[in-house]
Amino acid sequence: MNQTVVSYLSKYEFYDSLLALFGNNQGVLAFTIYLLLALIIVGMCATIGGLGTYAERKISADLQARVGPNRVGPYGLLQFLADGVKMMTKEDIMPFTADKTLFYLAPLLCLTGVFATLAVLPFSGGFIMADLNVGIFYLVAISSLVGLGVFLGGYASNSKWSMLGGMRGASQIISYEIPVTISILAIVLLAGGMGFGTIVGQQGGLPHQWFLFHNPFAFMAFFVYSVGALAETNRAPFDLPEAESELVSGYHTEYTGMRFGFFALAEYIEVFVVCGVAASLFLGGYNIPGISIDILPIQAVQFVVFMTKTLLLYYVVIWIRWTLPRLRVDQLMSVCWKYLTPIAILNLMGCAIWMVVFNGKSIAELVLGGH
Amino acid sequence: MFLQLLFISSALLTVLCAIGVLMVKNIMHSCVFLLGSLLGVAGLYATLGADFVAVTQIMVYVGGVVILMLFAVMLTGGKDFISRAQNLLGLPASMGNKLTYGVGLLVGLVFVLTNIKLLMGIAQTIPSKMINNEFPSTVSQIGHLLVKDHVLAFEISSVLLLGALVGAAIIARPRKQN
Amino acid sequence: MIPAEFDGLMPVVIFMGLAVLLFFGGHFLSVVLAPKKPSHLKSTPYECGELPVGSAWSMFNVRFYVVGLIFIIFDVESVLMFPVASIFKELNEMGQGGYALIIFLSFISVLIEGIAYCWRKGDLDWVKSFQHSLKKETK
Repeated sequence: MNQTVVSYLSKYEFYDSLLALFGNNQGVLAFTIYLLLALIIVGMCATIGGLGTYAERKISADLQARVGPNRVGPYGLLQFLADGVKMMTKEDIMPFTADKTLFYLAPLLCLTGVFATLAVLPFSGGFIMADLNVGIFYLVAISSLVGLGVFLGGYASNSKWSMLGGMRGASQIISYEIPVTISILAIVLLAGGMGFGTIVGQQGGLPHQWFLFHNPFAFMAFFVYSVGALAETNRAPFDLPEAESELVSGYHTEYTGMRFGFFALAEYIEVFVVCGVAASLFLGGYNIPGISIDILPIQAVQFVVFMTKTLLLYYVVIWIRWTLPRLRVDQLMSVCWKYLTPIAILNLMGCAIWMVVFNGKSIAELVLGGH
Repeated sequence: MFLQLLFISSALLTVLCAIGVLMVKNIMHSCVFLLGSLLGVAGLYATLGADFVAVTQIMVYVGGVVILMLFAVMLTGGKDFISRAQNLLGLPASMGNKLTYGVGLLVGLVFVLTNIKLLMGIAQTIPSKMINNEFPSTVSQIGHLLVKDHVLAFEISSVLLLGALVGAAIIARPRKQN
Repeated sequence: MIPAEFDGLMPVVIFMGLAVLLFFGGHFLSVVLAPKKPSHLKSTPYECGELPVGSAWSMFNVRFYVVGLIFIIFDVESVLMFPVASIFKELNEMGQGGYALIIFLSFISVLIEGIAYCWRKGDLDWVKSFQHSLKKETK
């Protein structure tokens, strides 16, 4: 069966006293723990998403030799709170030509798709809400709701810019899902399981134990995954669905106030999730070098390791946005179908052959002669 | 308790959204109701413990087929389907009259009853065989079955998909207009 | 037997529920806090100051549909490959690696044939697919 955070906690003694507190009702206690931790994760991710907007502006200012936001709070750190309050106090405007039901529904789809992926993100060895057997597969599948939300948002607005942005967004998201999925397949093949616990557990804390350096094909798969993930989250240089200079603001042109806020929140959290997945699939996840005992304080250190890797990748994503120019639509499609997908398939075949020929050993194991 | 709640809500979602697909006049809304219905089916699979099938349902149907349907609707321009003639029960006129509904109801009843009869038989005999702890998860069980017992089906399915790909490419290829 | 509450379904459902809650909570806050002064001009679709002509719901190019079709086929292929990939290591350790490799590679090679066909025939080109086939038919 699947490992969860509750089944992890139930190993400790304080779980039994908690259970007694809840009148020995396993279900209610499990629900309470899940709900509390889910609230913590959602709050944390919303803060990271908010700070992401701040980081985005600050880093872009740095790259362009400007100052950036510096008025609200120390170094402008509270800018995202001010933005959030502003979004709530702005009037909700809906175009009178819009499809009203779908206009309401589209941000919800984006938000649900992104939040549902948080359930399997491995923050640490024990602090993974649900270590499903189908973990990474589930994550890929449920995040396709975001594409639907983008399309419906564009369609429901009944504005030309939105419609074009929505169509582009949906076709881009589904196209790039293919190289991303096939790159993930290569890692599933190396790890021998789809659960995040299995995949991260197969790696170690030091770089030569990561899947990134397992073999040359896995190394390439990481870059295919990164490019595909950038495109799936509509980040520059693949931000065609919301290209400012040609489509005003793409699928959320007509969205104002809180509803726009949901789209933005979903997008920034999705970038975080995608970085987290990259960190745990390729960069060793929460593993700490040299420590393999399992006590609660270690979990906190693991959490810090995971967050460091993820946020470093987050920084790279922002950095790429302000460095590379945007692609054209036809370039976008040919990059996906003519370059990334064949390379990803090649990587998959390469990994399979490597597994059989070298009996599942990584380069480091071959060179150093085993662990 | 939780599983029962999940089962009931998934079943309700499936059935209500399926009714919505038929009742709603706007074809775009029909697509969105279909999305809800397919998600409900995924929930049903999940309550049965078939996690891989549930996720496949989401991946292929919600993430693929529904988007394809939306694209297909956009080929026609989206909004022009709004006026459809309605009849009995508020269903579209093209779906038949009282006679066809009567016959359909009868056929449906017979179908459901035979299915229940069959499934009851299966439910009484199979479980001891189905539930084995040889495999750690359904995924690995499916994998082993695909590689060992059903390897021919696995390989042929790739040929089938190749055929589908070529067919899709040929049908959708633009032709010169005379 | 592990109780159902320990299984991974509940967190998934809780996260989805939280998304819905946050959505309606945000809407509620915005209803309370935001001003409401609707006007007709304000709620016209944005077209850079021009009055919009016609609806945006127009017929779209068939190539979006083609991309969708190709996507679904690759999607199903990857779904079929996932269970086999996840037991590949296990089979390899059991000494059946060569057998698994042959099965896996022959499955993928059929996939490659499909993509090579579409590439050769110009279905993967975004712009050219029209000119390509038109040129051939006029020849």
